[in-house]
Amino acid sequence: MATPSSPPSERRGFLRKFTGWLGAALGAVVAVPGLGFLAAPLGRETVRGGKGPLRVARLAELKPGKPLRCEVRGELVDAWSRVPDVKLGSCWLVKSEMDGGLRAFSTVCPHLGCGVDWNDSQRRFVCPCHDSFFSLDGKVITGPSPRDLDELEVVTEAAEVKVVYRRFRVGTPKKVEV
Amino acid sequence: MSRLRRFAAALEERTGLGGAFASILSDPVPGGARWWHALGSLLVFLLGLELLTGALLAFFYAPSAQTAWASTVFIQDQLTLGWFVRGLHSFGASAMVVAAGLHFLHVLFAGAYKAPREGNWVIGLVLLLLTVGFCITGFGLPWDQKGYWAKLVETSIVGTVPLLGPTLERVLQGGPAYGNYTVTHLFAAHAFLLPAVTVALVVLHVALVRRHRLTPPWHLSAAEVRSRTETYWPNQAFRDAVVAALATFVIVALVVGFRGAALEGPADPGSGYQARPEWYARPLFQLRHYFDGPLEIVATMVIPGLVAAYLVALPFLDRTSSRDPRRRLPVLVFTGLGLAGVLLLGVHSVLKDARDPSYQRHRAEVDKESIRARALAAKGVLPEGGLAVYRNDPEFAVRELFRDQCANCHALTRQGGGDGPDLGDYNSRAWLLAFLKDPQSPLYMGAAKKPAKGGMKPVKAPPDVMAALAELVYAQSGAPDVDVALVGKGQALYPEQNCDSCHEMEPGKDSDAPNLFRRGTLEYIIKIIEDASRPELYGERSKMPKFGHKLSREQIEGLARFVRSQRKP
Repeated sequence: MATPSSPPSERRGFLRKFTGWLGAALGAVVAVPGLGFLAAPLGRETVRGGKGPLRVARLAELKPGKPLRCEVRGELVDAWSRVPDVKLGSCWLVKSEMDGGLRAFSTVCPHLGCGVDWNDSQRRFVCPCHDSFFSLDGKVITGPSPRDLDELEVVTEAAEVKVVYRRFRVGTPKKVEV
Repeated sequence: MSRLRRFAAALEERTGLGGAFASILSDPVPGGARWWHALGSLLVFLLGLELLTGALLAFFYAPSAQTAWASTVFIQDQLTLGWFVRGLHSFGASAMVVAAGLHFLHVLFAGAYKAPREGNWVIGLVLLLLTVGFCITGFGLPWDQKGYWAKLVETSIVGTVPLLGPTLERVLQGGPAYGNYTVTHLFAAHAFLLPAVTVALVVLHVALVRRHRLTPPWHLSAAEVRSRTETYWPNQAFRDAVVAALATFVIVALVVGFRGAALEGPADPGSGYQARPEWYARPLFQLRHYFDGPLEIVATMVIPGLVAAYLVALPFLDRTSSRDPRRRLPVLVFTGLGLAGVLLLGVHSVLKDARDPSYQRHRAEVDKESIRARALAAKGVLPEGGLAVYRNDPEFAVRELFRDQCANCHALTRQGGGDGPDLGDYNSRAWLLAFLKDPQSPLYMGAAKKPAKGGMKPVKAPPDVMAALAELVYAQSGAPDVDVALVGKGQALYPEQNCDSCHEMEPGKDSDAPNLFRRGTLEYIIKIIEDASRPELYGERSKMPKFGHKLSREQIEGLARFVRSQRKP
């Protein structure tokens, strides 16, 4: 085959530029909406659970100074699906030995999100993953946790204990809801 | 040498990528750049578009019978630009079928399948088949009505293959019936298997094109071909880019114009959906209409099989080295006739539907249902699956309540058979007129408990009197289309026909038979549901349970609205 012929350099320069820009524009038509689509979860709450106080226990179940671990169940809206009654998480209910006041703490460790347990012999909360310890009133005793246990709002109605369940960012000294 | 250049040189030395790219750009195009040659590059571009948008969709799509529809609706109607990306993917797929078809026809009419390109011709045919395979598997993934029913027909056709059919069908749908595995199978084929095979074959196809070079037009002499030959870059590359841009423009215009790809209501195995395949399969769909019973496989397998065999064998049947169309008349005429047949079948099928009023009505209903289902999905779909979306409809709860509490006695079918009146088309003129003519029919009070002196007797009067009485009762319900003159006539006839001896018409007055004042209004029906044995209604003899203490006020009002809504407009 003979050496392929080439167009004059002026035309060549124009074609090169035009083809290049056209290619870039085509890429943008896909890339820009594509990135916008991928970023969609930034712009909306794809997971929302349990608005309002949710029933977790009966008042009679609580003994002073003895934390009770309760399931929190409620409606979960997760992307396309809506589940009317599903486990959203757990909380510790603590009835004060002094005045009988009620407090609730999320079981999610503020350090890196493991489930916080109650150690009855040591009488303190312990996170089994990285050994953060918390007192009965949720204060950090020792360990890597950057803040105290996250307290949840408690509502008592008649003989029932209800909790407003929230999740907070872990690993930060400040309690920020997610 | 700048740092960047040194880095580029080092990279080139180690990978040779730049050289490989440059060698593609300097590939000779025998006989010079041509617009027709751009179709092959367009297909590579569209494949890239499909792979990219497909991967993006997979970030948000959940393949299972329970989640497929709901997650697709969420992409389409909730997520930012989801409709656009899904639209690009869907219309891009259609563009690919068009481009692949044109590329195939161009190669066929240009005689480019001849030696030494027979192998690449066959690879191209396989790629054409794979393109259709992508569309067929992808069409079912949203698990909406159109996708579900099209798939059902297709796997049923597979099931009719002699000997192997049932086994094949079961493997394809992942079990004895449609379910979660059908969707996971479609997804795995569509998103993993087909892309892998297709990309491998495209690489091979392009490598062989580079080896054999693009086919120059038949009318150029060897000397002309030599003198006009140029490199791929820039003239052919320019044409490729322009064609890709035009195609993209059309795709984007379609996506925006149609607000994204179509999405219907959730797959409903119990519905009477009139399935149609996507546009490219219309000719086959129409062909099947001419072969029934045992002959069906002629349309579904024999004819498509023969066409495929003919195309694969073409380079071996048409062996002359000349690509001059005048010397290949039999091949071109035969192919042209086949093509005309395919087009005719497709157009005929589409036109037939367009002119069929009953099909058009069905489509209108489907569209209405799709809009309703997608709107309801905004509240979140219950985990049972796509069809559970209808539970989000407040009317659904009422319907269920009616089924649980009322349907034992009250039919809605105009067939009667219950202990109480059939409430289908309740309180329409026709309903009332038929009641007056025969109150003791099984449609009305036939099975109800009668007072000592017997139930209501049929009203025997000339048709115009009957119509006036019915209109008077009809007017009580507050209907908007009342004939006032006729009501006046009815009022005069009311005592004349002795209606008032049992049925009071004054507000609140106790009555032997139900007081008809404002009969059929919401409040009236609520009262009946609460306690039909009130003295101004049916009195102590009423058999109907009192729902006043059993159901909440909202539930009763919902039921009353539901009963009132039975009257057809």
